[in-house]
Amino acid sequence: MNSAIRIAIALLAVVVLAALPWFGSDVIVQFGISTLLLAVLAQGWNIIGGYTGYPSFGNSTFFGLGAYGVAVAMVQWNMPFWVGMVFGAAMAVCFAILLGLPVLRLKGHYFAIATLALAQVVAAIVSNIPLFGQNIGLVLPPLNNDAMFYELSLALLLMATLTVWWLTRSRFGFGLIAIRENEEGAAVMGVNTTLYKVMAFALSGLFSSLAGGIQAYWITFLDPASAFDISLNVKMIIMAVFGGPGTVLGPIVGAVVLSAVSEVLSSEVTNAAGLFFGIVVVAAVVLMPRGLADIVHHFRKSGWRYFVQNIRAHRI
Amino acid sequence: MSINTLRLAGALFGAVALYSAPAVAEDLVLGASVQLTGPVANTGRYYKDAYEFTIDKINEAGGVKVGDKQYKLALKLYDNQSDVNLSVRQYTQLITQDKVNLLLGPFASNFALADSAISEKYQVPMVQGGGASDQIFSRNFKYIFGTLAPASNYFGSTIAMMKELDPAPKSVALLYADDSFDVSVAKGTRPLLTDAGFTIALDERYTSNASDFNSLLSQVKNANVDAVLMAGHETEILNFVRQAKSLSVAPKLYSFTVGVPSEDFRKALGKDADYAYGMSAWLPSTDLKDRWFGDAAAFAEAYKAKYGYAPDYHAASGAADVEALAKAVEAAGTIDPKAVRDAIAKLNFDSLYGTVAFGENGQINLAQTVVQIQDGNLAAVYGGKGFIEKPKYPMPTWDAR
Amino acid sequence: MDLLAQVFVNGILLGGLYAIMALGLALVWGVLNIVNLAHGAFIMLGAYLSWYLFKYLGIDPFLGLPITAIVMFGAGYAVQRGMLNLIVRAPMFNTLLVTFGLEVVLTYLAQLAFSADFRTINPSYAGSNIAIGPVVVPIVRLAAFGVAIVLAVIMWLFLLRTRLGRAIRATAQNLVAARLYGVEPRHLYATTFGIGIGLAGVAGGLYGTVSQINPYIGATLTAKCFAIAIIGGLENPLGVIVGGLVLGIIESLAILYIGATFGDVASFGVLVLVLIVRPSGLLGRTA
Repeated sequence: MNSAIRIAIALLAVVVLAALPWFGSDVIVQFGISTLLLAVLAQGWNIIGGYTGYPSFGNSTFFGLGAYGVAVAMVQWNMPFWVGMVFGAAMAVCFAILLGLPVLRLKGHYFAIATLALAQVVAAIVSNIPLFGQNIGLVLPPLNNDAMFYELSLALLLMATLTVWWLTRSRFGFGLIAIRENEEGAAVMGVNTTLYKVMAFALSGLFSSLAGGIQAYWITFLDPASAFDISLNVKMIIMAVFGGPGTVLGPIVGAVVLSAVSEVLSSEVTNAAGLFFGIVVVAAVVLMPRGLADIVHHFRKSGWRYFVQNIRAHRI
Repeated sequence: MSINTLRLAGALFGAVALYSAPAVAEDLVLGASVQLTGPVANTGRYYKDAYEFTIDKINEAGGVKVGDKQYKLALKLYDNQSDVNLSVRQYTQLITQDKVNLLLGPFASNFALADSAISEKYQVPMVQGGGASDQIFSRNFKYIFGTLAPASNYFGSTIAMMKELDPAPKSVALLYADDSFDVSVAKGTRPLLTDAGFTIALDERYTSNASDFNSLLSQVKNANVDAVLMAGHETEILNFVRQAKSLSVAPKLYSFTVGVPSEDFRKALGKDADYAYGMSAWLPSTDLKDRWFGDAAAFAEAYKAKYGYAPDYHAASGAADVEALAKAVEAAGTIDPKAVRDAIAKLNFDSLYGTVAFGENGQINLAQTVVQIQDGNLAAVYGGKGFIEKPKYPMPTWDAR
Repeated sequence: MDLLAQVFVNGILLGGLYAIMALGLALVWGVLNIVNLAHGAFIMLGAYLSWYLFKYLGIDPFLGLPITAIVMFGAGYAVQRGMLNLIVRAPMFNTLLVTFGLEVVLTYLAQLAFSADFRTINPSYAGSNIAIGPVVVPIVRLAAFGVAIVLAVIMWLFLLRTRLGRAIRATAQNLVAARLYGVEPRHLYATTFGIGIGLAGVAGGLYGTVSQINPYIGATLTAKCFAIAIIGGLENPLGVIVGGLVLGIIESLAILYIGATFGDVASFGVLVLVLIVRPSGLLGRTA
């Protein structure tokens, strides 16, 4: 395929998606909003986890801060929605820079656990701050305009995806990939690794926080447990990993497929949905640890043996 | 199976449009999303059971008559896995996709608080029996109705009783979890205590789901209070009582917002549950007459026979929600949600749960009866007209039991 | 002053309970490099097992601990052999995801099997205590503390002195070196994970005697275990005891002096601080 056709297809897809609220039902639009927001989160994680190789388990911190930005601005200060978005994004970016500096020095599990703990600390702190509604939460004014939320989410996903696409062809992006492959080597080659890592963390936080802001206004209720939900971290990671971490479209595909599966499960077999989610996570990681993107490349060659090969490659 | 697979496949390729609403002609469908799994599932199941039980009973009696048409009630129920966000999405789905006619509520105030925004948004009335926080009803929403007594007055009757006890307790410790319901309880209890002349020696908010109460208990012991009033969740209260025993903390009286009326609580604690006070806006008495069940005692008996555990006020409240919707539909003579909403607001009928009538803000007002566990049984000790059964007071020390 | 002394003792005893919960997690993490997010779920299962032993067979919860440990060891061995061994060499966060999935599945199955009812293991002596001056010491917590110390010392000696223990430690350093001990790595991995889960089972049995049990207690316990393991360091079982004590005392004091909603802020705050300042733990070698 040459690039002109690719761009044409991409544009067509965007136009079709953007028109969805005019021909889709309410349920589909709602499914669309939550899927798009999850895709933004997966894409945000992709920047720090997929490209830079730092598997953050604390991106829900940014999501939560963004959500609280909107909630605090709208409920406590009676400011418009967009002020809240800016406020939330500013909080998330400051947080990413301030805490990214020490935390991004950690490697492997330690980094993962530190970020996981950060989300818990922030949740515990927020549940003690009266401005943030303590542990009771804040109730936002309801707005019955799902089409707007949908278009906002789509625009945000588009922004995040274009950013990731830019990573694949910019000096900054190559720097991040170099850090992922070999951090010492990257430093020797003259990459300012600290700056690059913090920038990636902040960028990741920016998109996550904006998704949080939209979610807060859409759901109209926010408390620390739902804002800093640990399982949200796992969801965004599993979506990115399922689709293919470190690829431009992988996280989106992962988000769409897994959201669809879990949506069908939670309405068809309602009280076993949690169980199936757990099984899907386990099966996906064991059978296809490099994601759908990798399958597309290798499945044609090796067929079903692909899964067996995956297991062979990683077991002892 | 094949349909599910087909739907799965359809959804996988983005064609989520494959969904079809289960439209049955003569059914009046009530929708609800409750906690069947997850940390709150323990109480969530009361609502599922109560909804199903009451709907079956009403259908046995021929269903509801709307104008000259006879409707059978049906229930569309989702499990929200104790996740507030999921419950909001499921209520939206109930209204927009499943096209349910009317809504029943989830358990717990934080859920009701979030979900009431959905009933308001789509103007479909929700009668919920699981959220008592005053916050739910202070938003001027028109489509949310609640059948639990207001949180702020949960300790009202207990405090009235405390004044008449001999020797009267003087100092009180107020402990409460940091969630919407319990903060409302504490906010309402403080002025009641000071107006009644008690000193609040300890006023502590603690983290929901806390499992270690040793530090708090040591503070209670150190403050040497006569009474402890605790607003929290059943798990916390179980831990509190067990740890109180192991630290020999025995005030003259302790009372808890939840747990005491439920059988599960008494089973888990055994003899250690004795002397604990609680409150219930409902007791299975033959005085509470009901159109479908006869009376509250008959309801409790039939319920226990079917589900294997005795219903508490949560279950009775859930049953009252279904009855309220049935009554309102009959009164409205139509199933149009807006007309039904107006009929709910005007309801005033006797049920197994007591008199169901909603105030301006949409909440019922029921008096709380003080209950106490005496020798493993639940005894009603104090109500609107004074003492019912003699309370066991003061509580003996743990080694004197 | 009496209050402070009491709260301090509370903290120490809580620390003992914490330490025993984290022993298994730290072992598995330190040796196998598997961060087991399902650890708390295994503690929960151990608690239920003890509950059944106590309730239906009348076995005292402390005497039942060896049975719980052995059954849980078997479960852990099977999980490692049948599932986790398949992804040992995959990218590190894959093990996090798999164990998270496992946690979800175990919790769900526990609710199916045991219902969401609350349970307590309540032997006659569960609420007994001894008074030392003004300080009250609950017997069960004291015993749990003793069990924690004993198990940590046994673990320490086991890893240091026995052939299997040395093989396990060698694995932590280098998989190839481990083969020199003539132990099949798959078996060794499964054994180590089994020991970790056996310890989780013991912790569960003790937890059930001081607290209530329901299928959802796991996730919070896992989070606490992380904090303890990291504060204490992963190299030495005795470090875990220190981690547990530090956390127990800090939490208890924070609740006393700052407020009962600040326990989590304090414990996770300390965790992040330790991670940043001294990632190998308070007792660990400096990185």
